[in-house]
Amino acid sequence: MPRTSAFVRLLAACLPPDARRDLFEPAIHDLYAESARTGRGTGLASVVIFLECWRLAPSEVSAMFLHDVRHALRLLVREPGFTLAAIVTLALGVGANAAVFAVVNAVLLRPLPYPDADRLVLLQHRDRRTGITKGFIAIGDFVDIRARQQSFESLGGFGAGPGTVYGQGDPFDVSSLMATSELLDALRMRPVLGRSLTADDSRAGAAPVIVLGYDLWQQRFGGSPAVVGRAITIGSTTSQIVGVAPAGFRFPQNARTDVIASIEIPVRAPAERKSGWTFGVARLKPGVTMEKALADLSAVSRQMEQEHPAANQGSEYFAIALRDWMVGDTKGALLLLLSAVSLVTLIACVNVANLLAARAVGRRQEMAIRVAMGAGRSRLIAQWLTESLVLAIVAGVVGILVAKWMIPTLVSMVPTSINLPELAGLGVDRRVLAFTAGLTLLTTIVFGLIPAMGIRIENAVGALVNPGRVTAGAAARRASSALVVIETALAIILLTGAGLVLHSFARLLAVDPGFRTDRVLALDIALPADRYREQPAREAFYARAFDSLRRLDGIESAGAAVVMPLTGNNWTVGFDRSDRPVPAGQRPPDVGWQAATGGYFAALEIPLRAGRVFDDRDRPDHQPVVVISETIRDRFFPGENPIGRRVRSDNGDAEIVGVVGDIRRASLTDQPRADMYFPLEQSPQTATTLFIRTREDPMASLEAVRAALRGIEPRIVMRDITTLDAVARESLQITRLALSLLGAFAIAALGLAAIGIYGVMSHSVRQRTREIGTRLALGASGSDILWLVMRDGVLVAALGIAIGLACGQAAARALSALLYGTSPADPLTLGLAVTVLLGVAALACYLPARRATQVDPVKTLVTQ
Amino acid sequence: MPTKRIPRLTHLQFLVLGLLRDGEQPGRVIREAIAAHGVKRSAPAFYQLMARLERDRLVDGWYEQVTVGDQAVTERRYRLRAAGARLWAEARDFYTALIDRAVERLSDA
Repeated sequence: MPRTSAFVRLLAACLPPDARRDLFEPAIHDLYAESARTGRGTGLASVVIFLECWRLAPSEVSAMFLHDVRHALRLLVREPGFTLAAIVTLALGVGANAAVFAVVNAVLLRPLPYPDADRLVLLQHRDRRTGITKGFIAIGDFVDIRARQQSFESLGGFGAGPGTVYGQGDPFDVSSLMATSELLDALRMRPVLGRSLTADDSRAGAAPVIVLGYDLWQQRFGGSPAVVGRAITIGSTTSQIVGVAPAGFRFPQNARTDVIASIEIPVRAPAERKSGWTFGVARLKPGVTMEKALADLSAVSRQMEQEHPAANQGSEYFAIALRDWMVGDTKGALLLLLSAVSLVTLIACVNVANLLAARAVGRRQEMAIRVAMGAGRSRLIAQWLTESLVLAIVAGVVGILVAKWMIPTLVSMVPTSINLPELAGLGVDRRVLAFTAGLTLLTTIVFGLIPAMGIRIENAVGALVNPGRVTAGAAARRASSALVVIETALAIILLTGAGLVLHSFARLLAVDPGFRTDRVLALDIALPADRYREQPAREAFYARAFDSLRRLDGIESAGAAVVMPLTGNNWTVGFDRSDRPVPAGQRPPDVGWQAATGGYFAALEIPLRAGRVFDDRDRPDHQPVVVISETIRDRFFPGENPIGRRVRSDNGDAEIVGVVGDIRRASLTDQPRADMYFPLEQSPQTATTLFIRTREDPMASLEAVRAALRGIEPRIVMRDITTLDAVARESLQITRLALSLLGAFAIAALGLAAIGIYGVMSHSVRQRTREIGTRLALGASGSDILWLVMRDGVLVAALGIAIGLACGQAAARALSALLYGTSPADPLTLGLAVTVLLGVAALACYLPARRATQVDPVKTLVTQ
Repeated sequence: MPTKRIPRLTHLQFLVLGLLRDGEQPGRVIREAIAAHGVKRSAPAFYQLMARLERDRLVDGWYEQVTVGDQAVTERRYRLRAAGARLWAEARDFYTALIDRAVERLSDA
């Protein structure tokens, strides 16, 4: 071959000699000449020529390939120790990688079940003053955005939640999607029976209509076509069934959609822009990019801010891909884990490459014989690569079994908020198989090519003449050391990553949320709307219910609230002192919103700092009252006593009756925020969440609680029964997932690195037996030899650690989103990781070093 | 006297050998010339054809360095051997005779 790139030489080496000489070489020369004339690149065209040569020379290639495969299989059987070590190492790497990919594929890569789902976006609101971002949009803003935007072909509003169906036998729970017709248009939902929602269904005063979900239609209505036109009562609303959604339709994707009800959206923005809230989903117009849509939303936001400063000052709307909203924080964590597991696979490849390199030295005589019989370097490389491929395929098959075993464990660790139906029964599908096959090929190249490139036929004669003194050359030893440097560098990256997440997790566990999560039972309740339409009925129910619950054995306190803490809720309300209202045309600052009973503070043990919490005095017909958190007091009443002061609310001026401690309401990583509490006693709801503090295990009291509530209202619906501890655990699930897997990967990396260092040092000691024997004969002591060997190993490991730490900073920055209270450059974590890895490296060097001290100098010199 | 034996050359081989009757040529030029006759071949497929002609000792092939712009590149050149010229002539005679006979029959009819 003339002057060509290393890549082209590599391609040529993979071809049988005849095909290379007759087909590939002249074709490549023509390509280079063409490139010289036109200036075009040759990379891709070289590959095309290579593939064409393979296609044209099938008989020669397949004969050569089959011969090499048979030879490789014989070698694997002949060396069971090597085979087992290599296959287990690779299979674990490939299997873990395939398992993580299967989850990534299901959560991040598989298209959402809507046509052209990548054009669907969710609208988001950002308050520039507080930085708080939330998905729900004030109804006035929604109407204006819908009218003014130019980027979306349809923009629909929706909400989702549970409901109870009455009048169809026993009451039963349904999961409802409340939507406008534009949402269903955006999702391209086509009913299988009847019609979809229309714009008229969302007009004020329109008769309520619903579209049944397919499963509910089949299960509760027997799939009867006559269901269209019938009435159905959900909660307190009776609606007419107008259609049936197609099988499998669900929105949001992680929730069941039993019914789709129309919601009322005014045609013109109401004067009170925050009189209602909705989520917004839109479909980008053909040809409109996300950037253009964002610019459009930004322009509309600025217009609304100028027109309605009192409501929109600091408000900014933008959009995110619907998938990003659905997968939330899991996206970053999963991609991080995929990167981490890829590093483990890479370390496994490096280890196997080391094993192969060591074996290559032992096979130099065999190679020499092949060279003597006419095999060229390229032929040897092709044989070597085929052997690697056979090894990788066996490891890939075992890896798939490993993946099948790991996938259910991984799925169980994905947060329940990412409850995608695709995750249930997730297994090894075609995509995962294709990924594994690709990975297997890649590993072949990585671990097979390194030792193959080390083949030197010039030394073959020496190996043939004097087989007893076959040793690895300095270049081969340097290559082995380089591999150890690589795997130590990769291991330190994983180790520091796992250490940082562990440190962060420990800090999260130590965070004081401002309330106690232990021994609190939490359950959602829904009262039959027909019996509790009137406020006095609801008031009477709650009075009897709390009284009854507090009398139960094992119950300390009970309360109710609307917002479940630690679930990411960011509902806010404007804070406006009645005596010092914000100037006209300005928007009052936002504070957190919660509606709760007095018992809620007791059940969660939120400390009372001043005044009182809500109690029997706070009846619906009494003076509106609120309770504020400490931060509100400190920020808005510095040096004053806020008790007795008044703030503006929707129900007129409300009196501040108490100050309670701050809590981390949205999540443990959240800073304690200013919160304002409104009394549920003054506006009891038909649906709310009960919080019950028990003396023992809260689940042990569940039956008594159920019986007590059913004793008061037999038709009460109780759902989402959990404990506050479980909610807190779930809120940390992403961090826990990252910690568990990163920890496992780091341990695997540490183990593999130790094996790698041990292997290389053992091999090195064997190769240097003569030198060590000579040194001992010349008077070197055992400790001198121990130091000599250990110094080499530890130096190589230290070099790897230094390189890994430098490269690892970029990786640590990628971790930032998962870290809490821990810097990516946390010196304690870095120091510990370095110490552990150096310790393991020293241990891995010690055993071969000790063996080196036991070399018999006389015997060695005589033999050599 | 025209031969009655069916030619050993394929149409494509006949075309290539015919192109080489005018003198030695680089493979690239031959490939472009047969492409002008509507026979498109990838570079490896074309050189497979040429390798078979070389193996049958109908052409000689060798590498030669030429300068393109300011770059030295290598190209494979071919020249017709006597055996190739003889086979090409036989094939040409066969086809000529075939055409003559066909013309005669058409005239008789």
